[in-house]
Amino acid sequence: MPAQSTSRSGAGWNLTARTAQLLAIGFALVWSLAPIYWMVSTSFKNELEATRLRPTAWPEAPTLDNYIGLSGQSLPFFDFFLNTVISCLATAVVSVLIATPAAYALSRARFKLRGTVSYAILIFRMLPMVVLLAPLYLLLLNFQLLDSAFGLIVGFTTFGLPFAVWMMKSFIDAVPIEVEEAARVDGYPRWQVLMRVVVPLIVPGLLTTGTFVFMEAWNNLIYPLTFITTLDKQTLPAALVLTFTGQFKTDWGGMMAAATVTTLPLMIAFFAVQRSMVRGLTSGAVAGA
Amino acid sequence: MVIPTLLVMAVVVGYPIVYTLLLSVQDYNLLDFSPAENIGLENYARLFNDPIFWTSLYNTFIYSFGSVAISATLGLILALLCENLHGQHFRLTRSLLLMPWAVPFVVVAFLFRYMYMQNGGVINALLLGMGVISEPVPWLNSATLAMPAVMAANIWAMTPFFFLLLSAALSAIPNEVIEAARVDRARTWSMVAHIKLPFLRNPLLISSLLMLISTFNDFAKIWAMTQGGPGYSTSTLVIYVYRLAFETFEFGYASALGVIWLLLLLVFAVAYLRALRMG
Repeated sequence: MPAQSTSRSGAGWNLTARTAQLLAIGFALVWSLAPIYWMVSTSFKNELEATRLRPTAWPEAPTLDNYIGLSGQSLPFFDFFLNTVISCLATAVVSVLIATPAAYALSRARFKLRGTVSYAILIFRMLPMVVLLAPLYLLLLNFQLLDSAFGLIVGFTTFGLPFAVWMMKSFIDAVPIEVEEAARVDGYPRWQVLMRVVVPLIVPGLLTTGTFVFMEAWNNLIYPLTFITTLDKQTLPAALVLTFTGQFKTDWGGMMAAATVTTLPLMIAFFAVQRSMVRGLTSGAVAGA
Repeated sequence: MVIPTLLVMAVVVGYPIVYTLLLSVQDYNLLDFSPAENIGLENYARLFNDPIFWTSLYNTFIYSFGSVAISATLGLILALLCENLHGQHFRLTRSLLLMPWAVPFVVVAFLFRYMYMQNGGVINALLLGMGVISEPVPWLNSATLAMPAVMAANIWAMTPFFFLLLSAALSAIPNEVIEAARVDRARTWSMVAHIKLPFLRNPLLISSLLMLISTFNDFAKIWAMTQGGPGYSTSTLVIYVYRLAFETFEFGYASALGVIWLLLLLVFAVAYLRALRMG
């Protein structure tokens, strides 16, 4: 219960404050949700209604045509969808797998360049993606990895990995060292201490980091746009941009249906790990870098 | 154990950086069949006299720092507002307020582009209906309004992150501290200013850093909304480098721009780390 009532402030003031608070929260809810509602509701409108001069809040003649159009037409939307899920998932898994041992070493081991390495990783992380764009392009070109899912995953990982190390480190920092000591006394090697003792304790951290990397890859438009040249191999976000100039030029209903489909997996991933994400952020990132 | 990551990073990050440095002193152009030559610092000299570079640099700062400052403030206010909600109410409100964060950037861009439409866009329709404006406003087609409009979309998408992190930080403040202040009859305002804000300093710094990095790199929202236009009014460095590299294929010049940007960011990073360590 709100216990902010100091003895001096009267009940009337409290009521006003409470009303103002609820009104403000209500306003924030409308501001956050209205655009999402607008997207979903437009996706059920026909082409004419979607661009009407006086927009309708609720679809007058709700239709599924926009969604049906996505599955059955000239554009391989299912392929786009699959390409995105596979490349983003692979990026998240690879990043977390490589980052966890490194983060563990940075958190626990005492070696000379430890501080320098930590900062180097943080600064890598600050690198503007686009600075890496031209050299990465030439690198993939030389290894004939342009226009392949593997090349795209390499590109995504470039960006996801430093971040994953940094984040995993803050999660591991939060695990008390005493927990490991018992296992180490029993003579387990470091590697096993990490796998058997530490990893089970940082599952929320693993999930949080993985989700962050996944979301970031999903949001990445510039890499697929430059590294993938065949439309069939394109990711959803890039496909939206590329096809918008053609098929969807005036078809906002179809566009919003495609947008809804692009949003759903991210929404699901997000809510699936929301709990552990909140816990992870509380114990890790918030507690200090 | 740190070795595998460092190796992978050396290959996928270190190598491109060195490559960028090398490219930046060449007249490397993919469309040009004559071999690339070393031209010394010519690219850098050209950059210095390139008005579009300066415009893009300015836009990048406005876009990043502006959006992050506003989102952080909004997120902080929201976190404080929701602090005394409890149990299911809080969880539901939090989930709903977080939703914009799970909307992909490209979708944010197209959604706002649709809502900003001059004729038939819902924003103009609402404002006209309320009598705030008398004619439809060409949001994204106006050189002065395009930047604030793009920033508004960015703020919408970014505020939930600050709200989440700061809510978590608020709940981590030790109870004794709050109780002690309450015994001293601290009013709501001074409680926020003197007790809570100091606890939120580091979380605020860390979350703003994360979001600044993400906006520096934000290509999707701007590209899908305005492509940097009209003119160069919403062109940030990302957009400009992309154009240079993949519309005219001037890899050498684009790399020089990247190097300058890198140096600027290093200064920023060092200043930032200092601030963090002082906390």
